Order: sequence, then C-alpha cells, then structure tokens
Amino acid sequence: MVGKAILNRKILLTASKSLLGVILFLIAFSVSARGVYQSNQDFLLEVFNNAPPKSKVVWMKGELRQGIRDILGHPYAGLRIRYWQQDEKSAWILEEIGKTEAITFGVVIANNKVDSVKVLAFRESRGSEIRYPAFTQQFQGAGLEAQQLDRHIDGISGATLSVRAMTLIVEMALYLDKFINK
Amino acid sequence: MNRQMRFLHRTMGAVIAVFVLIFSLTGILLNHSSDLELDQEYLTWNWVLAHYGISNIEPDVVYFLDQHVISQFDSRVFIDAIPAINSHKPILGGVVIDDLMLLTTEDELLLFSHDGEFIEKMTESAGIPPLIQNIGLFHGEPVVQTRQGMWRSDFMLEEWEAISLEGIAWSEPQSLPSAVEDELADYFRGKGISVERVILDLHNGRLAGSFSVWIIDILGLMLTFISITGIWLWLKRR
Repeated sequence: MVGKAILNRKILLTASKSLLGVILFLIAFSVSARGVYQSNQDFLLEVFNNAPPKSKVVWMKGELRQGIRDILGHPYAGLRIRYWQQDEKSAWILEEIGKTEAITFGVVIANNKVDSVKVLAFRESRGSEIRYPAFTQQFQGAGLEAQQLDRHIDGISGATLSVRAMTLIVEMALYLDKFINK
Repeated sequence: MNRQMRFLHRTMGAVIAVFVLIFSLTGILLNHSSDLELDQEYLTWNWVLAHYGISNIEPDVVYFLDQHVISQFDSRVFIDAIPAINSHKPILGGVVIDDLMLLTTEDELLLFSHDGEFIEKMTESAGIPPLIQNIGLFHGEPVVQTRQGMWRSDFMLEEWEAISLEGIAWSEPQSLPSAVEDELADYFRGKGISVERVILDLHNGRLAGSFSVWIIDILGLMLTFISITGIWLWLKRR
C-alpha cells in the first residue's frame, strides 16, 4: 500500500516536471520569437553589398500622405520617410502595428517590383512566422495595381494581423517607390 | 463533539453566506449591466483609482523643450499631455535646434516639429552615432556623447564629426510640472473606473488582488467542510 502510494507520487512528480518543462519550453520559444533579427544598418549593408548609398527623405505631404493613408487605413506616423536608393533599387525601413506592437520591415524594390522583404524586428508575442523565407518569398516580384498587390498572398493561421501588416507595408513601399521615381 | 461540529457548521455557513450573497447580488447586477447602464457610470474615488494603479502618475523621465514638457511612461512618450510616439528605449535627453525638437535614445534620434508633430526616427543607418549617452548643444549645434566619444552635427543631422569640446549645455532631466501632471493624470484616469468593471472584479474575486486565490481556496475548503458536516449531522439525526 505504502509502495503504491510512493509509486503514484513519483508518477505525479514526473508528470508535473514534464508539464513544467513543456511550459518553460513554450515560454522560451515564444520569447525567442520576439526581438531584433537584423539591425537596420546590417540590412542596408546586405542590400547594397556593404556600400549603402546616402539616405534620402521623402516628405509625407498632399497626395502621397493621402495615398498612404488609403493603403494603411490610417496615417503613417511621421512627416518624412527615409530611404536608400541606388540605380533601380530602393530600400525602405518601415513600421506597422501587428496587433499591438510595431513590426519593423525592410523592403527592397527594384524596377517597380518587390525584390525582397524582411522582418527586421518583431515585438508581438505571436505571428513571427511571417519572417520565414517560405512566407516572404511570396512577395518576390509582386507589383502594385490600383494601390494593391497584383497577387494573392497566402496567410498563416494564427498570424493574420502580422500577415496583414506585412502586406500593407509592401504595398506602401511599392507606392513610395513609384512616387520617388515619378 | 456533536455540539462542536454543529457550532463549526453554523459559523462557517454564516461566513460562506456572506460571500454567496456578494456573488449572487453582483451576478444579478452583471446580468442586467446593460439595462442598468453600469458600463456608463464611472467611479473616481481615490482608493478605487489607487487599487487600479492610476491614482498617481510617475513618469520615467521628463525634459523641457521649447515650451513643451516631454515625458515618458514605459514606451509611451508624451508632449505636454498628448501622446506623441512609442519608444521602446528610454529617452536620454533632448535639445531644440532651429525648427526641430530632438529627443535621443541610446541608438536613435526622434525628431519633432515645434508643434510637437512627429517627423522621423533617425538611426545609425541614417548616420547617427550609436551608443548615445546624452545630447547637448554647443553654439546652437547638436552634440551627442556616446560611449565611443563625442560627436557634433548641424541642423541636417546627417553628418557627424568626432570632436572633443568643453562648455556643452547637456540636456538634464526635470521634474514634472504640476499643471502637466494634472493633465496627464486626467489622461490616464479617463472618466475613472466603470461601475461594471468594479462589480465584475468583485464578482470574480480580482478586487482582492493576489489574495483572491487564497480566499477562493479557503471558501472551497469551508464549503467542503460544511457539506461533509451537513451530511454527517443529517445522518446522525436519522
């Protein structure tokens, strides 16, 4: 009887430890999903082969301001946006709220099409799957048609708002690129 | 034995009855919350606000810039009592140059117009020296002290040269003026705490904070006890 009680206790203890282990792993995993994946500077060094051009700014006024408001559904924070341009390529570092926190994206546009898009910093607790190349490569070669992407982007379950934020930012970068190349 | 059991049964029953009454009455009120418009009524009693942590406001840091009071509460930066921007890094200082208000964090400059409108965040990728510790002015030009030394720029903020100067007017944190403190307190408190929220927290025990778990545990044990003693007394009577 006593032996059985000890055995039960051991099983309960092992089960509790395993459960605690799983919880700690999940917490560690979710925490590791947040953070800065690449600094702005490293992103630019990578995009422009270690020699980024001097930055330029575009002021958010009039038609541009309204156009971006139409794309995002709200005004973009800030009166000016910085970008880096060399030959046909322009690089943009833009932020958009996922659910409650800002996600920092790096978008490269070449010849009016998306060259690449990256998540530079992710601060939400969920939805960081959008940073995986398997997802971001869907944007490669996408253009803008009537202020919207010319293709459908497959979503990720559990990351709907992050996917939405990335799609809007890519549309915004394409719109900005079109504006500076007018 | 029987008498003691009966006494305990009755006493615990009375204690539990108080809680059952609270749960029942608050439950009924919550059931008719919309009709009674409990979500439209607000409490501004100090102890209630204190309980919800909004009776006093304490900014992390305050700077005075160009007639404006800049304050930071966690990641929220306010200009006077108006939310201006979110900054995940602490504000380390601020100066005014030409038509700009500049705030600095460890690795970015936050630019605002004189009216307090946010213009841009400039980082290392825009030429800003990293690892900033403070910002100041030298003959009207911005100077930043970094861990790697001192850097000076002009109003364009795009070119920074390493320098070593004395007599720089470094930015210094200030105290929050009471007028702005009152405005910020209004901002954080809003209309107060809704009656519905307080009743809901009373109903689910959250009003007792961290003690709620223990109270529910004790109530659970008492309920178990009076159930057992009730059955026992009933069996004895038969």
